[in-house]
Amino acid sequence: MKQNFYLFILACCFAFTSFAQESYTLSGTITDAASNETLIGVNVLIPSLNTGVVTNEYGFYSLKIPEGTFEMVISYLGFQTISEEITVSGQTSRNFKLKESSEILDEIVISQRSEGLNIKKPEMSLNRLSINTIQKMPVIFGEVDVIKSLLLLPGVSNAGEGSSGFNVRGGAVDQNLILLDEATIYNSSHLFGFFSVFNPDAIKDLKLYKGGIPAKYGGRVSSVLDIYQRDGNSRELKMQGGIGAISSRLLAEGPIVKDKGSFLIGGRSSYAHLFLKFTDNENSAYFYDLNTKLSYRLDDKNKIYFSGYFGRDVFSLSRNFKNTYGNAVLNLRWNHIFSDNIFSNLSVIYSDYYYGLTLGFVGFNWDSGIKNLNLKYDFDHYLNDTFQLKYGFQNTYYDFNPGEIEPIDESSGINYFKLNNKHAFESAVYFSAEHNISEKFSAEYGLRYSGFFRLGPDELSTYEDDSPVIYNKDRDIYEEAEPIGSQSYERAKIISSFGNFEPRLSIAYSFDLNQSVKASYNRMTQYLHLISNTSSPTPLDVWTPSGPFIEPQILDQYALGYFRNFKDGAYSLEAETFYKKVKNRIDYVNGANLIANNNIERVILNGKSRAYGLEILFRKNEGRFTGWLAYTLSKAEQKTPGRTPVETGINGGDWYNSNYNKTHDVSFTASYEANKKWEFNANFSFQTGLPSTFPTAQYSYENITVPVYSPRNSNRLPAYHRLDLSANYNPKISSEKDFKSSWSFGIYNVYNRKNAYSLTFRENSDTGVNEAVRLSLFGIIPSVTYNFSF
Amino acid sequence: MKTLLKIFGLLLIFPATSCEDVVDISLEETEPRLVVEASILSFKDSESNIQQIRLSQTAPFYDEETPPVENASVRIISEEGLQYDFIHTTEGYYINENLKPEIGATYELEIIYNDELYTATGTMMGVTDIDFIEQTATGGFGGDEIEVKVFYTDPANEPNFYLFIFRNDKISLEIYEDKFTDGNQIFGYYSNEDIQPGDEIDIEMYGISKSYYEYLFILRAQIGENSGGPFETQPATVKGNVINRSNKENYPFGYFHLSEVDTSSYIVK
Repeated sequence: MKQNFYLFILACCFAFTSFAQESYTLSGTITDAASNETLIGVNVLIPSLNTGVVTNEYGFYSLKIPEGTFEMVISYLGFQTISEEITVSGQTSRNFKLKESSEILDEIVISQRSEGLNIKKPEMSLNRLSINTIQKMPVIFGEVDVIKSLLLLPGVSNAGEGSSGFNVRGGAVDQNLILLDEATIYNSSHLFGFFSVFNPDAIKDLKLYKGGIPAKYGGRVSSVLDIYQRDGNSRELKMQGGIGAISSRLLAEGPIVKDKGSFLIGGRSSYAHLFLKFTDNENSAYFYDLNTKLSYRLDDKNKIYFSGYFGRDVFSLSRNFKNTYGNAVLNLRWNHIFSDNIFSNLSVIYSDYYYGLTLGFVGFNWDSGIKNLNLKYDFDHYLNDTFQLKYGFQNTYYDFNPGEIEPIDESSGINYFKLNNKHAFESAVYFSAEHNISEKFSAEYGLRYSGFFRLGPDELSTYEDDSPVIYNKDRDIYEEAEPIGSQSYERAKIISSFGNFEPRLSIAYSFDLNQSVKASYNRMTQYLHLISNTSSPTPLDVWTPSGPFIEPQILDQYALGYFRNFKDGAYSLEAETFYKKVKNRIDYVNGANLIANNNIERVILNGKSRAYGLEILFRKNEGRFTGWLAYTLSKAEQKTPGRTPVETGINGGDWYNSNYNKTHDVSFTASYEANKKWEFNANFSFQTGLPSTFPTAQYSYENITVPVYSPRNSNRLPAYHRLDLSANYNPKISSEKDFKSSWSFGIYNVYNRKNAYSLTFRENSDTGVNEAVRLSLFGIIPSVTYNFSF
Repeated sequence: MKTLLKIFGLLLIFPATSCEDVVDISLEETEPRLVVEASILSFKDSESNIQQIRLSQTAPFYDEETPPVENASVRIISEEGLQYDFIHTTEGYYINENLKPEIGATYELEIIYNDELYTATGTMMGVTDIDFIEQTATGGFGGDEIEVKVFYTDPANEPNFYLFIFRNDKISLEIYEDKFTDGNQIFGYYSNEDIQPGDEIDIEMYGISKSYYEYLFILRAQIGENSGGPFETQPATVKGNVINRSNKENYPFGYFHLSEVDTSSYIVK
C-alpha cells in the first residue's frame, strides 16, 4: 500500500517537473534586517507575470519564472515593501532583508495586511495571529497570553475561566494538536489554565487551523495550533523582559557567529507564595518555563536548529501535599534546499510530559507521564507557478507511564503498585498539492495515510465475550466485568494495529479580487485519548493509546465559507459554516474511577460526538483604530447509545450537550493608537452560560441530603459577559537602538460582573437548608506590567 | 483518591477576588420516588437483634423535609426461607427485633408500596477489628488541622471494602478499598477544621460489598461541596440495588446492605 503511495507521489513530481522545463527557479530566504530572523508568510510577487508565493515556516520561497527582467515586490506586515528589478537567465538565488516600517515613518501607520484575508488561496478556517496583535489584547493579570487571545476568535472557546486548554468548533481539549517548533505539547496550561505555557517573547508566529486542515498535519481531530519560536538575533546581543504583578520574564538573544549563528534563551517565572489563603503555612503555587534555541546557517542551502522547552508547575501545601507537572521538549532540525525548488526539513523531536504527586498524610508518591520520540521529514516542492507540492512522513514512538504508586517511607500502609506501561508506534505518510487551476479557481488537496501499532511488552486482561463492561439490566447501571484471565505480550509484539486514509480537500472560487467562496472537507484520525471525566481536564488526567478495547477517533468535517475584502482590504468579512462528526469518542460510565485504574476499559463506552455552527468575523485591518467583531452560533453534542437494544447507554442513550457547548459566543476587540506614546485596547465578550446539571429533587440517605439530578448537561449556568480595558504607554520613542521601556496598565472585568464559574447545590451545614451556591472566580482585577528591551 | 480532585477546586478558590454567594435558581420538579434505607447491621460489641429500615420519598430540592412512607409492607427473607416482618413504628421507621444476620449469608428484601413490589438482595459482610486510634495536629491539605486516624489491619489476599462513619456535629462518610493497602495495617482518616479538644467523635467501621462501595462512591460525588466544579465528575443519578419489579420506570433510590460493624468513640485531645 505504502509503496504504491510513494510511487504515486513520484509520478506526480515527474509529471510536473517535465511540464515546467522552460522556466527557471528563483528562490531565497527573507529575513528581518535588524535581527536576521527569518520571516514567515511574506508575500513575494512578480506583478507583470501575475504570479507570487508566500514564504514558508522557515522564511524560504521559490518561484518558477521564464527568462527575462522583472519587477519583484516583497511585502510583509510592519515592514517596508521592497520593489526590485531582477534579471533571470538561469537558476537564481536571491535573499532579501526587510526593514521595519515604524523606524522611518513619522506617522504610525498600522497595517495588519498579512493577517488580512487571502481571497484567492484555498485555505479557510485558518486564523493567523502575529505576536504584535496578541500583545495588544488586554488579558487577565496583565500577562500577554497566546491562548487567551485565541479565545476571542470565532469558533474558539474554553470551559470557563481558569480551565485548561481550549475548545475549537465543539471539539474537546485533547483533540487539539499543539505544536511548538514542530514538537507536540501535551498540556498547554500553567496554573490550571490561568496562563498558557507559551512565552510570548519567544514566539514568532502562530496559526490556528479550525478546518480544511492540510494533509501535513494529523493525529488530532479538532484543530492544529502551529507555533514557531523566534530563532534569535544573529546580528547583535539583545535583551528584553517584563516585570508584572504575577510573573516576570527575561529573554536574551544574540549571535554565536555573526550573521550565521544565533542563540535565544528566555525564562519566565511566577512568584511563589502567590495564591495563598492559609498564610500561616508553608504553601506555594508557582510555575516557570524556559525556552532555548540555537540556530546556525551552514551555507545557503543548509541550516540547523536546536531548540528546547522546559516548563514546570509546582504546588505545595505544607509537607502533606506536593504536585509537580510540566512539558519538556528537545528538538533538532535540519533545513536543506535541494535544487532550489525543493525545500526540506528533517526533525528529530523528543518530548516528555510528567505528572507527580506526593500525599504526605496518606503516605505515598505518585508518578505518571508520557514520553515520545518523533522523526519526521517534510518537503516543500515548488513545481511551477500554479502547482506546489508538499509531502513527507512522520514516525513517533510513544512510551506511556499511566502511573506508579510508591510508599513514602517504611511506616506507610501503602503497597508499591505500578500500572502497566503502554507502548505504541504511529506512522504517517502524506502528500498535499496546492493547485491554481485557473485564474479564479484554486484547490488544495491531499491524502494522508496513518498507521498505529500498539506494542508490547504489556499484559492485558481478558473478559468473557470480550466485554469489559457489564450492563446490569435490573439496576440499569454499568458495572466493571471481572477479568477471566490475562494475556502477555512480548517486547515489540504488535498487540493491535490500525490504518486509516485521511483525504483532505479545500477549494476556492474567487469572483473578483475581493470576493470568494471556499469549501473544504477533511478526515482525520486520532489514536491517543485523554482519559478524563471531569468537566474540564486536570493535569492528573492520563493519555492512553488506542488498542484492543479503544478504537481511534475518526473525524469528518465539512465547511463552507464566504470571504470578502472591502475598501482594498481595510475591512474584511469571513463567514463560515461547519459540520463535523467524530466516531469512537470515549464516554465514561457513571461513577467511573479513572485514577490509578489499570483497566480503563472497564469503565468506558464507545460513543460519538457532533458539532455544527456558523462563524462570522468582521475585521478592521488598517488605521489608528483596528479590531474585530466575532460571532459564533454553534452546538456541540455527544451520544453514547447502548451496545444492545436492552441497554440504555449513557444519559439514556440520547444526544446531550458537551461540557463546553455555548450557543452564542460574541467577542469584540479593539485597539486605538492615540499617539506615539499611548495605545488603548478593549475587549468585550458575551457567551451563553456553560452546560450544567441541576437537581430536580432531593432525598435523605444516612441523614445526608442527596440531590437527584436531571440528565447530563440539560441546564445552563447564567450568561457570561465581561469587559476588559488596557493601555500601553511608551514614555519615549527613540530612533536609537538603546534602552526602550513601556508600561502596560490593565483592568480585567471592568464592571465587576460576578460570572458563575460553577453552581453547587448543597445543604447549608449550619442552617440545614438546601441552597444553590454560585462560585465566581474573578471580580475586577487591575494590573500593571513594566516591559523593557535593550 | 477522589479527594485529589478536590484539591484542584481548593487551589482555584485561592485568588483573593473569588467569592461564593447563594443565588436564586428555579428548578424543575419531578414525581416523587420511594427511598429505601435498609442497613441491616451486626455490632461486634452488642448482642442486640433490633434492626430498622427507613422508607421515605423524594421531595422538591428546596423543601426542608422529605416525607416519610408509613403505609408500606416490609420484610426480609433468609436463604432458608425464614421471614422477618418489619413493623412500622413512626416517621417511616420499620422495626424487626429478631434478625441476627450471619456473615456470608444472603438475604432478600421485599417491599410492597402503592401496589408495587420492590426487591433487593444482599450478602452479609464481615469486618476486621479497629486496632487503635491516633490523633495528630498536622492533618488536612493545609497541615494544620486535627486529624484522627482509626487503624485496622486489612486481611491479606482478598478484596475488602470499608465504610467509616464519623459523627460529631456533622456526619462524614469515608470509603476505602484495599487495592493499594492489601494485608497492611492502615487507617480510616477523619480531619475537619472545626473539631476542638474535648469534642467526642463516634466512629463506626463497616465491612461492605464492592457494589455498595461503588454505590457510595457515586453518592459521595453528588453531595455537599463535592459536586458542580469543573474538576469534578458530572452529577449522575445514583441508582441503588432496590428494584421495582412491577414498574421499572418508577425506580426507587437507596440501598439494601448487610454489614458487620465495629464501633468506637474518641474524645479529641
